[in-house]
Amino acid sequence: MADLNAVEIRNVSKIFGFGEFAFAAVNDTSVAIRQNEFFTLLGPSGCGKTTLLRLIAGFEFPTAGEILLNGANIAAMPPFKRPVNTVFQSYALFPHMTVAENIGFGLQMLGRPKAEIEARVAEMLKLVRMEELRGRRTSQISGGQQQRVALARALAPQPKVLLLDEPLSALDYKLRKDMQIELKRLQSETGITFIFVTHDQEEALTMSDRVAVMSAGRILQVGSPREIYDAPTDRFVADFIGETNFLKGRVVSITDGIAQVDTGVGGRIAAALPQGFVPEGEVTVVLRPEHAMLCAPDHSGACQMTGTLENVVYFGTDTHYHVRLADGVTSFTLREQNKPLQAARFASGDRVGIAIESNAARVLRN
Amino acid sequence: MARQFSVRRQTGFTTIAMICFFALYLPIAVLVIYAFNAGQSLSIWEGFSLRWFVKAFENQHVIEASIRSLQIAVVAALVATAAATMAALATTRTEPYRGLTLKYAFINQPLMIPEIVTAVALLIFFSRIKVWTGYSGLGYLIAAHTAFCIPFAYLPIRARLENMDLTLERAAADLYATPWKTFRYVTLPLLWPGILAGLMLAFVISLDDVVITEFVKSAGQDTLPTYMLGQLRRAITPEMNAISTLFLLLSICIVTVFFFVNKKRI
Repeated sequence: MADLNAVEIRNVSKIFGFGEFAFAAVNDTSVAIRQNEFFTLLGPSGCGKTTLLRLIAGFEFPTAGEILLNGANIAAMPPFKRPVNTVFQSYALFPHMTVAENIGFGLQMLGRPKAEIEARVAEMLKLVRMEELRGRRTSQISGGQQQRVALARALAPQPKVLLLDEPLSALDYKLRKDMQIELKRLQSETGITFIFVTHDQEEALTMSDRVAVMSAGRILQVGSPREIYDAPTDRFVADFIGETNFLKGRVVSITDGIAQVDTGVGGRIAAALPQGFVPEGEVTVVLRPEHAMLCAPDHSGACQMTGTLENVVYFGTDTHYHVRLADGVTSFTLREQNKPLQAARFASGDRVGIAIESNAARVLRN
Repeated sequence: MARQFSVRRQTGFTTIAMICFFALYLPIAVLVIYAFNAGQSLSIWEGFSLRWFVKAFENQHVIEASIRSLQIAVVAALVATAAATMAALATTRTEPYRGLTLKYAFINQPLMIPEIVTAVALLIFFSRIKVWTGYSGLGYLIAAHTAFCIPFAYLPIRARLENMDLTLERAAADLYATPWKTFRYVTLPLLWPGILAGLMLAFVISLDDVVITEFVKSAGQDTLPTYMLGQLRRAITPEMNAISTLFLLLSICIVTVFFFVNKKRI
């Protein structure tokens, strides 16, 4: 039993509208979310992440496919029968109830004895550090406090899975940072599986155990934040998360899953291939800006590419260099961390070489 | 100093507003004042007296008509509000579909149909039913009042529902509330001011109705407004003013009660 996935999405589609107006918000998607995991659905607005969350919550029903909760298919179950709870983007606190009444609502609806509800509400208030505000109306507390009440309300019935729909997007920057840490703490303290929806890549990377990147109703890649960032398999994933350089090139040889790619702007680049991917013809290589360094163009062997430095932007912690590669078309961005009292090594207009760190470049599937 | 342009103050607006207020409230003020006239006249002041109020309270016709009016208004307003609440829930708590606009129009159409048309139609319709069933009680008036009160009750309830966040009901469902419990513990408490407004509006509209009542009522089924209309054909005394004043007082009370009830919630 312990090995069952907390939530398993099997070939789920959700189509809105009919005929020519039909639109697949979720398109034949499958994903398995493990027990006690902080799982994030990441994607731009309109990618289907919220629809997927609502399918799990039961506010929408899938057009096709299965949704398993601890192994049982709940796809057709109404929301009030599903042992999952949601933290809404707008919090959706009941304005005619006090903080304590809001938190106790789920247990009250489950028909639990009064004493148990009291105890659990007190426990939840303590968990989110809101003890002194229990009697307040929800309109009399701040946005951050409302956020905590919404969390406590959703956690009070001890759901199998907690769904969070962009819960931090309405908070200002500092509060958001605090709540990110708070959420992580709550997740590890309660041991409940969290499914978190966001369009903020930083939020996804800092909080999640695993991230699923979505676009146009499909999940493109699932992996740990490090995998998603370091080894994107898809152009969209590489582009959406962080800054990326895309280089076109031709595969010359392959050994042990490492392709030698000729980009036509200098030497060859060693780039890792996605598992089981056999490249044909032209491929795209991705490279993060911080995984490359400027070097003197004639430095034999060390530089894989050459070009002209077009722009130098100083950012305090690091400096960004924009290079026009030797083909005259492709632009390449590098990011170097600044050292104390370091003079700029290159100026715009200089001819420069680019040295790539080993294991940094990767070939994309498409 | 240069004159500042302000859209909030335009020359003449205050004057026009004052004229409007006078036109609205001056006749009512005069009516109320002459209700306390000691003499028979509606235009010559002969001293202060409560005699016309006493007379109104001793007039058996007035008392009967008032009770009838209240009976009809209470039942019609309650039934109409219940129906309007259901209609409002059905038309707002749903995905928009083809024909929904038509449904709105259907519910609100009675507001557009000239009352006299409805009155004549009901007269003919009910007289048929009277022949068939032999029943000629208050039921016809109550049914007629209920029918034309529904759109009045519907409007504030629907307005309230449309301003209500659907997510609240989702949240309730998410927290294990069945559809009925969601309605009972979340929708209804939040909708309550709208329902109350609908109820008050329906009640006042029913209480006030003349045209349809005049056509539908059987002999001896005068409501207060139709009784007053009947009296106008005879000699008018300040008794009418007294009755009108009491009527006005009732209206003001209802509005005040509603205002405070509404203020207390949210």
